[in-house]
Amino acid sequence: MTAARLGHQNLGLGVGLRSVHFGHILQHWPAVDWFEIISENYIDTQGRPRYVLDQIAERYPLVMHGVSLSIGSTDPLDFEYLAKLKRLAGEIDARWISDHLCWTGVAGRNSHDLLPIPYNEESLAHVVARIKTVQEFLERPLVLEDPSSYVTFAASTMTEWEFLSAMANEADCGLLLDVNNVYVSGVNHDFDPAEYVRGVPHERIVQFHLAGHTNMGDYCIDTHDAAVIDPVWRLYQLAHELTGGASTLLEWDANIPPFDVMHAEVLKARGHITAQGGESPEPITTKSADAPAPHPLHFVTPEIE
Amino acid sequence: MSDPHPLMTLQRWMQSVITNPRGISAGIDNAAARQWIDVASDDVEQVIGRSQKRTSIERLQVYGNAYFARLVECMREQFPALCETLGQELFDGFALDYLDKRPSTSYTLSRLADRFVPHLETTRPAAESAAPGWADFLIDLASFEWSVAQTFDAPGTEQSGVITPDDLAQVSPDDWPQTRLIAAPCLRLHAYRFPVNAYFSDFRAGRPLSIPPAAATWLALSRREYIVRRIPLDESEFLLLQSLLAGQSVGAAIEAAAEQSADFDAFARNLPHWFQRFAGEGFFTKLVKP
Ligand SMILES: [Fe+2]
Repeated sequence: MTAARLGHQNLGLGVGLRSVHFGHILQHWPAVDWFEIISENYIDTQGRPRYVLDQIAERYPLVMHGVSLSIGSTDPLDFEYLAKLKRLAGEIDARWISDHLCWTGVAGRNSHDLLPIPYNEESLAHVVARIKTVQEFLERPLVLEDPSSYVTFAASTMTEWEFLSAMANEADCGLLLDVNNVYVSGVNHDFDPAEYVRGVPHERIVQFHLAGHTNMGDYCIDTHDAAVIDPVWRLYQLAHELTGGASTLLEWDANIPPFDVMHAEVLKARGHITAQGGESPEPITTKSADAPAPHPLHFVTPEIE
Repeated sequence: MSDPHPLMTLQRWMQSVITNPRGISAGIDNAAARQWIDVASDDVEQVIGRSQKRTSIERLQVYGNAYFARLVECMREQFPALCETLGQELFDGFALDYLDKRPSTSYTLSRLADRFVPHLETTRPAAESAAPGWADFLIDLASFEWSVAQTFDAPGTEQSGVITPDDLAQVSPDDWPQTRLIAAPCLRLHAYRFPVNAYFSDFRAGRPLSIPPAAATWLALSRREYIVRRIPLDESEFLLLQSLLAGQSVGAAIEAAAEQSADFDAFARNLPHWFQRFAGEGFFTKLVKP
């Protein structure tokens, strides 16, 4: 039998570490339960981001979340990249390493986007084999997140939650359930997000993501630039009940507010899992020709005197 | 015959479609995509499903828009002064051309612009005269901004410590010419055809910008307390440091720089002061005595 959360601790309510908050964190050491880092922003730098990270690692549990693994790609795995992940994970004592069920590019190119794959037996076998290779290399289970997506493929023969379930069970990996992504994809692909949340293997869910998105009227874009909306909180509540709770993290990547505002947003989760309480803004609907870019945009600007 | 690698084929097709600068429909109908999946844009539902409210093309468009928007925004952040100089529209044009011709092959966005300066150099208009012109200014500025980012992430001296002016003063005059100074790993020397560092200071201060007249300038980029420092040099200082960084002894470096110096007396007069200044800026991490 699989242990709840694959045996991982429930770290509580955390926020994504963003460089605009470095100064605040170093000055105030806020009472946040844990941080998630974007792995790519730290595996190469020998400058300030890494220096700050080392100090944060001494005081908070850290989780590494990547955007470049490209587990679904048909290009070879990048073992140089994996070696850097493994090394950093050891140095900062990362509790686990996560990425997305997606591909980011092919033929040696990187789109820097999280692109979906068709859900069928061929891609399932492909992804499962690659997860096993990665887990063997990293010497730890991988945790994979459901991506938000904007297209579906005629070649798909199963739902995303059926694919995730088969994938996690066959590869023996963990899942990061992003309930905002489930909501966004549900709007974009006309499925019931609650059915999705009920359909994934709950004991394999190691972590939740919460985030805001942009409603474009007839579809949603996963912009990570706003507060969490009520329907997403309700999905979170459902997922919490079904899993018995797991480490919960708020992502905020554009129009990033002051640290306290971001932290307060994730703390609302308490109200949603203890009672009917909690409050959240009404969904804002944008109808604009100039559509905002979905995340991930993760570029750290240098500091100059 | 059925495709033995349908996932690979689909990915190559989709990447070709969403990265086509002329849009999704043009991308689908283009030969680069049709070599993988031979479907016309009118029939794309055979590959990409529609939703209740949106067509397959509209759905793919989200990825097409995001691809260029995300990467151009990243370029703007990496080259803020160049973007301000050109204006956003023109800058975006340069960035789009670069991304189209030299798409990203790295797992990290911090390497996205690595080939931007060489790209500008190969695509620049032919020079109208021997004197440096506006295209050279733009290339110098781009090169400067890229170098700043490299220094920010480079290995530094924050943990290892540096040689102080006092350390230098304690070297005996007999040992001095044969001594070697090991440079900080984040120290880089740059020679420009335009005063880009002063221009960047104007940009940072929000002062009005205009392309300055050409004038050779020299700059050291280094880092202290994890912040990038810009240290203007004169030509003699630049030459001296260049020799020291190449591994020459103090005596040999002085000799080489003196030979190329126009005003030997001034060179000799300034020499002791320069070494103190270099050490004060933390340019050296180690003294190797003979
Ligand atoms: Fe997420």
